[in-house]
Amino acid sequence: MTRSGLVKRFGPVTAVDGLSFDVHPGTVTGFLGPNGAGKTTTLRMLLGLVTPDEGTATINGMAYRQLREPLHEVGAVLEASSFHPGRTAAAHLRIHALAANADPSRIWDVLELVGLTGAARRRVGGFSLGMRQRLGIATALLADPEVLILDEPANGLDPDGVRWLRELLRGFAAEGGTVLLSSHLLAEVAQTVDSVVILDRGRLVAQGPVAELTAGGAGLEDVFLQLTKGVSR
Amino acid sequence: MTVPLPRLVRVELLKLASTRLSYGLLAASVGLTALWTTLEASRAGTGKGPAPLYTYSGLTSIVTGGVWGLILAAVLGVIISSDEFRHQTATFTYLAAPDRNQVLAAKAVAAAVGGAIFGLAGYAVAAAVGLAFTAAHGYRVAIGAVTFVNWGAGHLVGGALLAVIGVAAGSLVRSQLASVIGVFVWSIIIESLLGGLFTAVRPYLPYTAATTLAGTLLGSAAFGPARDASSGTPLPFAAATALLAAIALAGALVAARTTVRRDIT
Repeated sequence: MTRSGLVKRFGPVTAVDGLSFDVHPGTVTGFLGPNGAGKTTTLRMLLGLVTPDEGTATINGMAYRQLREPLHEVGAVLEASSFHPGRTAAAHLRIHALAANADPSRIWDVLELVGLTGAARRRVGGFSLGMRQRLGIATALLADPEVLILDEPANGLDPDGVRWLRELLRGFAAEGGTVLLSSHLLAEVAQTVDSVVILDRGRLVAQGPVAELTAGGAGLEDVFLQLTKGVSR
Repeated sequence: MTVPLPRLVRVELLKLASTRLSYGLLAASVGLTALWTTLEASRAGTGKGPAPLYTYSGLTSIVTGGVWGLILAAVLGVIISSDEFRHQTATFTYLAAPDRNQVLAAKAVAAAVGGAIFGLAGYAVAAAVGLAFTAAHGYRVAIGAVTFVNWGAGHLVGGALLAVIGVAAGSLVRSQLASVIGVFVWSIIIESLLGGLFTAVRPYLPYTAATTLAGTLLGSAAFGPARDASSGTPLPFAAATALLAAIALAGALVAARTTVRRDIT
């Protein structure tokens, strides 16, 4: 994944300002920044949901909108509320399996993987936040993609779920997959990621392996707060 | 082009089939039609309602009384497009199919299929009620088989095209509540007012054109004082079809150039 000189303005506000960075296969990369730093906007530009004012974002050398079978290349979870509440989990996945041209048997594989087999026939409107996150991750994994892009995937997960997610992402990267993970849970991020990209006010302030950034003995949280000056917005 | 259009149409049809709202709307359409036509048929020939059922006009007013199916076909179209924003499912939809114009086209096709079913279901109920009352009175059927088939085709085409217009309206407005209310206000109030005040434009109003396609006498699908203020000639089948298709296409093109392009934030 490559982003080159991305700029996005919403009226007078520049949400993302000349952002450039790369994410490589076989790694889990944390995408960090304070509230309003431009993380979600950047992820949405990468996924073709938001059009950049300047710059390009590519996956395997192509813009997301040009990917022939996008869900086979990229799985994404952007918000836990993106489900029709009247649809069952199985129906939701059936729709996306068809859209992705994925083998329908994958529906039950991913439901088992995320621990929702027993809830497959339940309507999503009755799901907890954690169950919705799991269903979102199941959707992202349906077409067995090479890249995962996750925006705050640990929100609503219990400690067991957070550990499960960590192991899932580490395993995905170990098999050569690429993971870009946006999160506010820095302690959890420190245990999961290989490297980080840190934004502040739409600009890149640091990028590199966690081991390098924390080489001075400071923890990831201290490094993050120092780089973003601890400004709370 | 990324994801093939036929696959996206199947996706949209699967979405329709996987929520209870679609079935509820169809049940409401059938139920309202049954209630309306039964009330009208029971008043036929009494001097307080339609002409006797042994007459062409009397039986016609019942058999073509499935206008609720046409109105709810438009509501179905609105829901197909605006549901994506109401429930924020547009994110997953556009991740699977980044070509938004293609998604809009798939929704239009799926809506046409659903709208045709709504139109035909309303017609089937209205025709059944009309024929049942006619048979119960021992009257002969004053409408020929070819006319029945033509009106069936009109319900099919009218329902399909109103549903596509609904998709365009839902894409433009995005607010589901506003656009559903808009469908009822337009069909029941605005067209009745416009058609009553300006009888020359009545045949060209979309809901009215769809009802005349379906065999309803011009003006008799209007509500309130404008009802039965029949004057002018309805558009021929091909012209009414072309008018509705042009409105649907124009609405879809405007949506594709404006709201459909917006960022999904």
